[in-house]
Amino acid sequence: MATSTPVGAFPSPYSIETPPGCEGWEEMYPYHAFFAEARRAKDENRFWFWNSMHFPVPMPAFDVACIDSPYQAVGAWQNRVFAVPPAMGIDYRVINGYIYISGNPVTDPAKVAERAEFFQRRAGYYYANWDELYAKWRTKVEALIDEVTNLRVPELPEYEPDEVMFDDTRNTSFIDVLDAYQRTLRLGDLMWQQHFEFLLLGYGAYATFADYCKSNLPDIPDQHIAQMVAGIDVLLFRPDAELRRLARRAIETGVDAAFAEGRSPAEIDAELAQSEAGRHWLEELEKVKDPWFNMATGDGLYHYYRSWLDDPSIPYASLIGHIAALRAGEQIDRPTAELQRERDRLAEEYRSLLEEPARGGFDELLALSRTVFPYVEEHKFFCDYWFLTRWWNKLREFGALLARHGYIEDAEDVFQLGRHEVASALDELLLMWATGGEPLGPHHWPPIVERRKALLAKLADWTPPPALGVTPEAVTDPMTIMLWGVTTQRVQEWARAGDGDPNELIGAAASPGIVEGPARVVKTVDQVADVREGEILVCTITSPAWAPIFSKIKAAVTDIGGVMSHAAIVCREYGLPAVVGTGRATSQIRTGQMVRVDGSTGVVTILAGGEDDDA
Amino acid sequence: MSDGGGHSRPLEQLRGADAAMFGGKSASLGELIAAGIPVPPGFALSTSGFGAFVDEAGLAGRISAAVAELPPDDLERVNAVSRAIAEGMRSAPVPESVRAEVGRRYAELSGEAEPPVAVRSSALGEDSQDATFAGQQETYLWVRGADGVCDAVRDCWVSLYSPQAMTYRARVGAGGATPAMGVTVQLMVDAAVSGVMFTCNPVSGDPSMVAVNASWGLGLAVVGGEVTPDDYLVSKVTSEVVRQTVTVKEIEYVPGAHGRGAVRVEVPPERREAPCLDEEQLAALVALARRVERHFGGHQDIEWAIGRDGELFVVQSRPVTAVAKPAGPPRQLTAISLVMSKFGATADDSGEPRAD
Repeated sequence: MATSTPVGAFPSPYSIETPPGCEGWEEMYPYHAFFAEARRAKDENRFWFWNSMHFPVPMPAFDVACIDSPYQAVGAWQNRVFAVPPAMGIDYRVINGYIYISGNPVTDPAKVAERAEFFQRRAGYYYANWDELYAKWRTKVEALIDEVTNLRVPELPEYEPDEVMFDDTRNTSFIDVLDAYQRTLRLGDLMWQQHFEFLLLGYGAYATFADYCKSNLPDIPDQHIAQMVAGIDVLLFRPDAELRRLARRAIETGVDAAFAEGRSPAEIDAELAQSEAGRHWLEELEKVKDPWFNMATGDGLYHYYRSWLDDPSIPYASLIGHIAALRAGEQIDRPTAELQRERDRLAEEYRSLLEEPARGGFDELLALSRTVFPYVEEHKFFCDYWFLTRWWNKLREFGALLARHGYIEDAEDVFQLGRHEVASALDELLLMWATGGEPLGPHHWPPIVERRKALLAKLADWTPPPALGVTPEAVTDPMTIMLWGVTTQRVQEWARAGDGDPNELIGAAASPGIVEGPARVVKTVDQVADVREGEILVCTITSPAWAPIFSKIKAAVTDIGGVMSHAAIVCREYGLPAVVGTGRATSQIRTGQMVRVDGSTGVVTILAGGEDDDA
Repeated sequence: MSDGGGHSRPLEQLRGADAAMFGGKSASLGELIAAGIPVPPGFALSTSGFGAFVDEAGLAGRISAAVAELPPDDLERVNAVSRAIAEGMRSAPVPESVRAEVGRRYAELSGEAEPPVAVRSSALGEDSQDATFAGQQETYLWVRGADGVCDAVRDCWVSLYSPQAMTYRARVGAGGATPAMGVTVQLMVDAAVSGVMFTCNPVSGDPSMVAVNASWGLGLAVVGGEVTPDDYLVSKVTSEVVRQTVTVKEIEYVPGAHGRGAVRVEVPPERREAPCLDEEQLAALVALARRVERHFGGHQDIEWAIGRDGELFVVQSRPVTAVAKPAGPPRQLTAISLVMSKFGATADDSGEPRAD
């Protein structure tokens, strides 16, 4: 098939066929999400890439809220608030359940100049007042987390309580349910709005420092730039640090025997509950849970990713691992002092190698990058993990309401409906509750849910091409480059992938070293538990919540992400080779194949079982 | 400590200021030794040795007469004059005063009888780039015995009147003046691997890198461009190998029969495509490069050798003069204005952002 595609070109988005059995997948998505004939002239002549970083698996209907809202928010800030001169917002399209995105450029020089005036004034204000604004941001986001946690999803009573009569401010339950649902959606929008308030400027400051380093130190490895900026004592490392502390505590108090390999969290808890010391340990765990168990089990924007509170299998696996390591006499603490020293040493060495005036610029930009960096790392914990896992849970409560009335079979089924479909189902439910009439919903929605579940399962087998449409001569959109690591070079590598060695993948060299080992392809969060000692993790992108498995693996390979990605940062800390942003590792590599990862050159080679056997 | 005569000194006694008398190479080796850099022990002959030679042999008049009117573009005449001067010089004896000093210093070099040494010209002049161009960089390896050393010293002097050296001097308007040259004599390193390194990447100008070229055997093959050497780019900051190209190394120079002279031989097949250096050796080279650079306060072009016993030596170091400068952003821009331009909000001509 490589030969039928012209060199350096991606398939037209209009040439992509629906996989057999997946007909009708479009019903899950809004009308504006398609490569429609009405805008073919434009859409066919743009460069689209698969956003596998955020959307590695087919998109459930409800989860589309996590496309619409963030892209409304990112566009609002980038295009309408900061007026980033050359770039407006990001368009998305869905094809076979997968999300492709493309930036809208500003090409008119007069317009670019006009926007530059806005940008300099507004972005300048943010950089000048960063710490103060970021403190306010934290307050706002914490308030959103509180609100979504405490928001009440009303029950529909047989009879309204007396207060509805006697208290002028009380509404009847149908208004309360409508309000609660609308507010839940609105809280999601608000969170996404906050999420992007600092993101562009944060990444921009870092990217400028990276460029500055490369123009003065042309051969500097990307990872050294990242190491100089990245924080050591950042929030995202706290959850695992707490687990290490609890692991030590378990041994000290003699309850470590409960953490036997293969036991479930419930089994471990049950054993601990039988002893005084065990109950003490559980109390300590309870104190740690708020807030540190608000990690998500994955890094995508799906309802699939529960928090550690909902699904403690990852933290418990981590505890088992830490306890086993401690018993074997291993050192399990992150060597923070050493990491800090190395970070400072790198910065000092590089600055001393520069002459004035380059040294002055280096100092200023490094300081600015370090100022913005806490936001860059911490927003994930507050927004993507803590808020989102609570938000999905709130929506499950609406799912439970619908399920109790027979509109869907299970609370979880709510995610098979679009958010406007859920509003529509709630509308009918409230109407029927009010009228006492015969509901149609219980006949209408369950078959839709079943059909869509089957569609998602089938679409998961389809392999999306990394990009569609026209190969750009150069990728100039600052966001595409900064947030997704999609550079001109990366796009050209994707375009050439068809005619290169099929057993070789090229990505960014993110953490040095060469190792060989069996691959473990992880596409969904429930596959994380399958990872075995000594395997090479091959995934679309990793999440900080996966930290425990990094002590097992030999190397990591991802489809997307740059040297600042989580996988890259963690691998450097664990001294594991990593290649990120390969574009197609999860589709090209199969679990069990022997692969070689060269984290110094960014090359991944499939060594055995790699021949193209579907030819 | 007896310093034993007027024409020579041990390398360790030389400093930068001695370059006027002993030539740049000897002086910089003295500096390196003073800085604690491993340099094979040796001694240096000053220009007075050459002066004494020319005087005692009565060659001064004859040479300047032959050189004075030399038209630099007439290659045939230049070649003929060069040949005549060389013959005259080779038939003249090295003065006894020089011979005695060389003999004594040579005998003091090592416990070994007739140890092998390298004899190299040590050019004068502020810019050793010119000296390279003028061909004043003669090297004689695996020389043994006091007589052999004296012959090699005389051969270095003869190289002052090579056609290219004479043409060069004539071009820069120094054709009539009597040239001068020092000579460096150092114990040989029985090199398993040798090469050259720059304390920056000379191509990109990156000052955080050490660029290392290496090949098997003596350094002649690399310096003379007779092999395509292995090429390593190593970070000064972490000693990581950032890039490496391992080449096919067909030939190497090894000591000749009875450990005299250097001969060119084929590299055995098993070593031909193997990398010459491992990470540990590269890290040691980088550490050394950094010390040399720090000592001289500028980028250096360093010739080095690793002996068969694994010991690493610097055999020469000189300033790098032609380095690409990294582009770098315009200097007057502040950090914020650089960030602005990252977002496409370019500053105006004044280099300052248009708004505050």
